[in-house]
Amino acid sequence: MGRKRNQRKSSRRGAPLRSHHSSQHSLLPPITMPPFKDEHILLIAPGSQMTLAQLGLPETFTPARFRFPTRMFPAEKKGEYEPYRVHERRQEVKASNGTDAPKPDVEMKDAEPAEGTPAAGTTVKTDENTQDNDESTKTIEEVFYEEDLASDEGAIYPIENGRIVDWPCFFALLTHIYNTLSPPFHTPIMLVGQPVWSARDREAITQFVFEKFKAPAFSLMDSALAACYGYGTATATIVDVGKGKVDVTAVTDFAVNEHGRGIALEGCGGDAMTDRLHELLGPKGFTREMCEQLKRSNITEILPPGTPLPGSSATARQGANPAAAASTGGSDGDESAPRGPGEGTQTGIEGSNGDEDEGVLDVAAIVSGNPTEYLANVEKEKTTTKKGAADPKGARLPNSKKEKASFQFEEFVQLEGEKAAAHGSRQYVRHARDIEVSVERFLLTSPRSKVGNRLTSGILEDIATQIHHTILAVPDATKRSELWDSLIIVGCGSKVKGFTQALLAVITQKFILSPSATIFTSEIPSNFTTPLPTGANTPAPMSQSGPMYHPAAPGVNPLLVAATHNNPGMPGVMPGTPSMDPSMLSHYRSTGHSQTPTSVKTLKLPEYFPDFKDQGNSNAPGASSGSAGGNPGASGTSQGGHGMEEAVFLGAQMASKVFFVIDQGLSKSYLSRVEYNESGPSAIHEYIL
Amino acid sequence: MNPSNPPQAAEYGGDEVSAIVLDPGYSTTRTGFAGEDAPKSLIPTYYGKYNADGQEKLVFGDDVFVTPRPGLSIYNPIGKDGIVEDWDMAERVWEHSFISRLTGTKAGNPFQNGLNDVSSDELPTEMEVESEEKPLSDSPLLMTEPGWNPAKAREKTIEIAMEKWDTPAFYLARSGVLAAFASGKASALVIDIGASNISVTPIHDGMILKRGVQHSPLGGDYISSQINAIFKANSPQPITITPHYLISSKTAVEAGQPPQVKYKTFPADKAPDASYRALLEERTLSEFKECVVQVWPGPTKLSAPSPTGVSNEDMARTTPGRPFEFPDGYNQIFGVDRFRAVESLFDAKAAIPDPDSPFPPPTPAQTIPELVKASLAGVDVDLRPHLLANVVVTGGSSLLYGFTDRLNHELMQMFPGPRVRVTAPGNTSERRFGSWIGGSILASLGTFHQMWISKKEYEEHGPNIVEKRCK
Repeated sequence: MGRKRNQRKSSRRGAPLRSHHSSQHSLLPPITMPPFKDEHILLIAPGSQMTLAQLGLPETFTPARFRFPTRMFPAEKKGEYEPYRVHERRQEVKASNGTDAPKPDVEMKDAEPAEGTPAAGTTVKTDENTQDNDESTKTIEEVFYEEDLASDEGAIYPIENGRIVDWPCFFALLTHIYNTLSPPFHTPIMLVGQPVWSARDREAITQFVFEKFKAPAFSLMDSALAACYGYGTATATIVDVGKGKVDVTAVTDFAVNEHGRGIALEGCGGDAMTDRLHELLGPKGFTREMCEQLKRSNITEILPPGTPLPGSSATARQGANPAAAASTGGSDGDESAPRGPGEGTQTGIEGSNGDEDEGVLDVAAIVSGNPTEYLANVEKEKTTTKKGAADPKGARLPNSKKEKASFQFEEFVQLEGEKAAAHGSRQYVRHARDIEVSVERFLLTSPRSKVGNRLTSGILEDIATQIHHTILAVPDATKRSELWDSLIIVGCGSKVKGFTQALLAVITQKFILSPSATIFTSEIPSNFTTPLPTGANTPAPMSQSGPMYHPAAPGVNPLLVAATHNNPGMPGVMPGTPSMDPSMLSHYRSTGHSQTPTSVKTLKLPEYFPDFKDQGNSNAPGASSGSAGGNPGASGTSQGGHGMEEAVFLGAQMASKVFFVIDQGLSKSYLSRVEYNESGPSAIHEYIL
Repeated sequence: MNPSNPPQAAEYGGDEVSAIVLDPGYSTTRTGFAGEDAPKSLIPTYYGKYNADGQEKLVFGDDVFVTPRPGLSIYNPIGKDGIVEDWDMAERVWEHSFISRLTGTKAGNPFQNGLNDVSSDELPTEMEVESEEKPLSDSPLLMTEPGWNPAKAREKTIEIAMEKWDTPAFYLARSGVLAAFASGKASALVIDIGASNISVTPIHDGMILKRGVQHSPLGGDYISSQINAIFKANSPQPITITPHYLISSKTAVEAGQPPQVKYKTFPADKAPDASYRALLEERTLSEFKECVVQVWPGPTKLSAPSPTGVSNEDMARTTPGRPFEFPDGYNQIFGVDRFRAVESLFDAKAAIPDPDSPFPPPTPAQTIPELVKASLAGVDVDLRPHLLANVVVTGGSSLLYGFTDRLNHELMQMFPGPRVRVTAPGNTSERRFGSWIGGSILASLGTFHQMWISKKEYEEHGPNIVEKRCK
């Protein structure tokens, strides 16, 4: 069965068919390796929900070309896995007919996108039953194996909160990705590692990569460091907001500070926000799926602490079951060809393969030509116009001032009736409707009322506390101030509107020191030791100025602020207090240091990767949610200030360019096969970045 | 690499053995692979206990600093003197320290992890799952211990390592010896300023001189208690530390003004108890130690008059103070007080009296100069000059600003004859992890191979073998 699928795949791809490279090592030159090429680098970034992958580095770096849901389905044979749910379908074929009914394959292509409803499995059975009923004696029963791209029933998620919980499944996923991308022999592999992986985990992965893929070189890069590469900075605090967890890492001079690192902080990721929404809205008839889409919609926003909620009462539309709310776009979808099953889950398989062969990658074209994307845009426009018509007054108010707003909820509804039966397979209709939500949409980071094992004070405060803890644990105290001033916030969980601003506001009100506590040990001495990024190792100069948030609490003398913070905007203002006598300074403050933070800022993202900037939120549909139907309507959500939650992948591309192509291993940044053969998997620890 | 060839002996003992070095301290537990320059895993030795859903739950690691748990209380399995008191929990904490970052979970059944081609009929129908997977079955383990560790505790340690963790080889080394190794010395006088203890350990040719080992409780926790005493007597108002977890937001205030803060409240049955608060207060205090506290540089005591006739204390008053802001936003400048907090480490009379302190007032014999004197008195006269020329300073609390200068002055005054030379690594992590680094060096030496106590030897001789082999 597996063979059947593979054949179909490779033929569809049109690429030269390659067997699994079991005899590949004999083809490799024994010692000297030819230099690696840009187009032969395989990048894989596993996450708890989505695994990003790409073969080859494009001219200008782009978001990951392939997105695989991080899940596999158990195959029939124990210990083997399939990328899609496969179920048996028995069909009666007329013996005389002769045609072997290649139907399932065709149908699959026509089937609606991958976001499935949990009910999918049961409906198949009804199909079978109806088939069985009109069975005639002349038919032979044949068993078809059908890949159900829409279902996630029975899926195994090998990564939970960053931890690899099911190794065989994880390895099967890696193999699936490898086979799908089908890299040539001489392909170095760059894997972005989760911070939570232990040393032994990394060894196991190293062993797998070398022994299964026969890779000539392998690099295992820490995701936090990759984010630093993406931003082109040597020192930063990386906050990675994932699905179920948050990682907080302080990186100083391209070195990850392991001590005090916030690893897989639970209950702080995107799921926690959905859970909170569900807790608030559940009694009003919202399903978790609705909350998930609400979270992704552009009406959901995290307001900085202290912002009054619009409207006086925190009540949503009472009584009305949101499911009964105005239903709109039920008619679209269905057979309209573009949304084939492949696109929903693995964006652009077909599109990119032709390009690979040419060696020239016009990713922008692929992406813009991506039907899902296109549809999403159309959808978005429709939504906005519709909303404007319905609520002309409210539309002019900013979202945060509106008491109520509605978002478009989409779900896939099984197509019933004769049409479906005729196809013998399931058909889905995308069903969209507007649901109105009240101020609950601003409360997704508030602490949950049902206290679990943690006395959490809301996820933002937990993250802020972790940042404080992590930075305080950095042994080099002179770096701490810089770490506070260079926060990098990545991860899809941070895509909720207002996340960054609200986080900064929480830090400000909880941890920022008042100017009077720092006036006598102003940042002047430490600024000498921490030069501004010059951009020496980045293609374009970085500007770190323009704080998003003024650190000073309200009501403080602005001159004091200027004096203590040495604001780049006011370079002339120097503290003039008598105690700032330079000789005293040098004598008493040479090694002592002052408390932090006096300010907190996020790093500005590099300007020179327009694709990443524009694409900031393009991964909303399907991509960040394998199972829970993505909401294309939300894909246009604009993010104030940041849009590069996948900076990790950008960084991985930059790093692979440097490691594999530019310095060719001079900087000991990857483990070569020769060395692996000598020292075994544990050699990876000398190369882990 | 022909898999049928047995590994050669020379290869086996070398760096290829990924030994784990475990350096358990009172405040933190350091663990990492031998051969690396810093421990990969650094966790607090403190652990938390709380009740959830009617079950008692334990929490290890840094996480507890970030999110408190309902009704959480904090414990430490190690006693104030640095000797393990609660063996069961010590084992759990240590185990967490290597499982969380180093060994992790197993990569699955070898039949199914995709690395081996096994045809389906070869697959055993039922996997013979080991009844209990032991965490260290393929890593030799080197552990450290304080110089005054009793024999019983040493035997218990090897018992845990061999029987609970199933380590193939084990060694127990004195932390003082390892700290000397980390500084590249085989003979040294190691002054270790830890959290619960300060100790002086004379070492000759890599062997500990047991009669010279001295220790006293004037460590980092004692300094914290002195700082608390200062806060209590502070003018214009006594200072209480409110840890971050009790604060929801603060407003900037001028120096010396009462804090304007919004407190967070927990329901009475959910609130973490006093031990948790103390643990988090300690974090603020360690920030205070880093930013404010300073050791009077000497050469004479803080209370003594300086050569110019002005008292040292008046001299200290003229230096500019250092500001500090507390989690609730209260901030003030600390002047001469910041010197007084540590003065009693050198001068018992300078201790700030505080009847509520858990530490009794220090006796003169507990101060560092007296400990050094007593330690040297316990070793051979001929060795003393050599030891004084190789004084090694280690331990996190020795990072107090000005500490080594003062120590140098004190030793030179006490021993004017022989040359005194104090070695203290400037790098923060080398100072904090001195004994771990020494262990990392030792365990990665090829020649150390013969020193390991193997599982077989343990099974043959019982836990008492540690007394014979690890001297």
